[in-house]
Amino acid sequence: MMVEKVKGIKYHKKQDVAIVGAGMTIFRRRLNETGKELSYYAVKQALEEAGLDISDIDMVVMGSAPDAFDGVHMKGEYLLDGAGASNKPYVRVFVGGGTGVFAPIAGYWHVASGLADVCLVVCEEKMSSSHPHPQSAFKYIWDPILDRPLKPNLIWIFALEMRRYMHVHNIKHEDIALVSVKNKANALDHPAAQLAAKITVEDVLNSEPMALPVRRLDVSPPSDGAAAIVMVAPHIARQLTDEPVWVTGVGWSLDTTWWTNRDLYFPRYVAEAAKMAYKMAHITDPRKEIDVAEPYDPFDYKELHHMEGLGLAKKGEAPILTREGVTARDGDLPVCPSGGLLGVGNPIAASLGVKVAEIYWQLAYRAGKRQVAKEVTTGVAQAWGDLMQVGTVVVLSNKR
Amino acid sequence: MVFTEKIIDPRELRHVEGKIELYWIYTSGEAGDYFFKKLRDEGKFTAAKCKKCGYIFFPPRIYCEFDFSETEYVEVSGEGCVVAYAVAYYDKNGEKLEKPEIYALIEMDGTNGRIIHLLGEVEPEDVCIGMKVKPVLKPKEEREGKITDILYFKPA
Repeated sequence: MMVEKVKGIKYHKKQDVAIVGAGMTIFRRRLNETGKELSYYAVKQALEEAGLDISDIDMVVMGSAPDAFDGVHMKGEYLLDGAGASNKPYVRVFVGGGTGVFAPIAGYWHVASGLADVCLVVCEEKMSSSHPHPQSAFKYIWDPILDRPLKPNLIWIFALEMRRYMHVHNIKHEDIALVSVKNKANALDHPAAQLAAKITVEDVLNSEPMALPVRRLDVSPPSDGAAAIVMVAPHIARQLTDEPVWVTGVGWSLDTTWWTNRDLYFPRYVAEAAKMAYKMAHITDPRKEIDVAEPYDPFDYKELHHMEGLGLAKKGEAPILTREGVTARDGDLPVCPSGGLLGVGNPIAASLGVKVAEIYWQLAYRAGKRQVAKEVTTGVAQAWGDLMQVGTVVVLSNKR
Repeated sequence: MVFTEKIIDPRELRHVEGKIELYWIYTSGEAGDYFFKKLRDEGKFTAAKCKKCGYIFFPPRIYCEFDFSETEYVEVSGEGCVVAYAVAYYDKNGEKLEKPEIYALIEMDGTNGRIIHLLGEVEPEDVCIGMKVKPVLKPKEEREGKITDILYFKPA
């Protein structure tokens, strides 16, 4: 140690941060709209809900994952006008699949630091431009020397992770499939949903093998879509609504791209991100203090994996909570009441719309048919991505 | 089940086709150069041990990511054990494979590291977590100093 310092992360902020509006487009495998147009629709809706005009926006954060999906190199700049950022301070952030929750964290910096009083956060993904399949874009995220010559497909590294999770805790595929059944059914109440359906555990277990143990209905689809939220300082929130939803904690953490060198049964980087966010939000017992959760669910086992990373279940306990109905929309800890990525769709960064935006809608009691049965005060949204290495976490509360 | 995928071919929409025409030349780096030359020329496997904390990286690296100390090369057997495996039905482009392939995460003996590679000379139903495996290399004259010089790992 070369310098004297006070250990740990500081949470000094200039002002509190509230969310006052959110919007999202429908999620579909292929949409006619360009990425700019999708961004425009999401922003329009968020501004309308907030009661603001584009001229009220001080700064804009764009979240969008690999350039290779849209096929426009430096697509942050390309999407700028659709995001309402012409001639404004603008920045694009991305951490792969973690982007949908990382972009609101970046929006939080803008407002909490006092640099902006009104920050618009927009997330966009247009995966359908990429051919022969969006999967092909993932060919190029691997280590070019060690991994790529083996011709990896992204699904099979998740199959390795799912296998490891099942092996360590002795979990059956049936228990994991329940997540897909729950989320696709929850999505029936989501107006933007792509894969809402009533399915059974047998449907999942009999669906086509992708990379065993992963089968077709264990996986969320590629999608096009956009989502947006408006983040503001307290004095702005007060003028717009009596019931703002506050960002009480943010956390993020990354492990290395040496993903083979960690035990895949537990997402330590998610646990680290959650620890940071909970400390900031003064949460000591997440299972008791969190009322509703939107962990990232691109695969059914990932919801369980992430519940454990978030401390919402003990290691290996998430499948039990699921089987007992605790995580149902009318359960004691509703998880993915939106329908999640499995049901609503997975336009990578735009999953903002079913993660942070959904928790905002739940805590603002604006979730309509998706509103959870229990009374809610505090919720958590989380995303995950890159080479199975990033955890991004936001804690929201309707009490300051 | 009724799903709502309406547009099957985006060419039905007003569109243009495009390509980003670039290609890349990747170097294997200092540690990679040492590792792959040893593999190509001598059929031997190398790991790297942190001079400070003793953590043994495989594949080798010139630095320890935990304390940023230098490492030194150590020879290892190349054998290991399966900690997870997947039976892949689709290739890297999402095209159906003719025959499913088994990919495994292999913990390398004498190191703290793991790699992914194919399993061979074994059927999916006979693979289990904890299974000991050893590498099968290409004949020396065909080796190029690439990870594919290892054809696959087989039950030891």
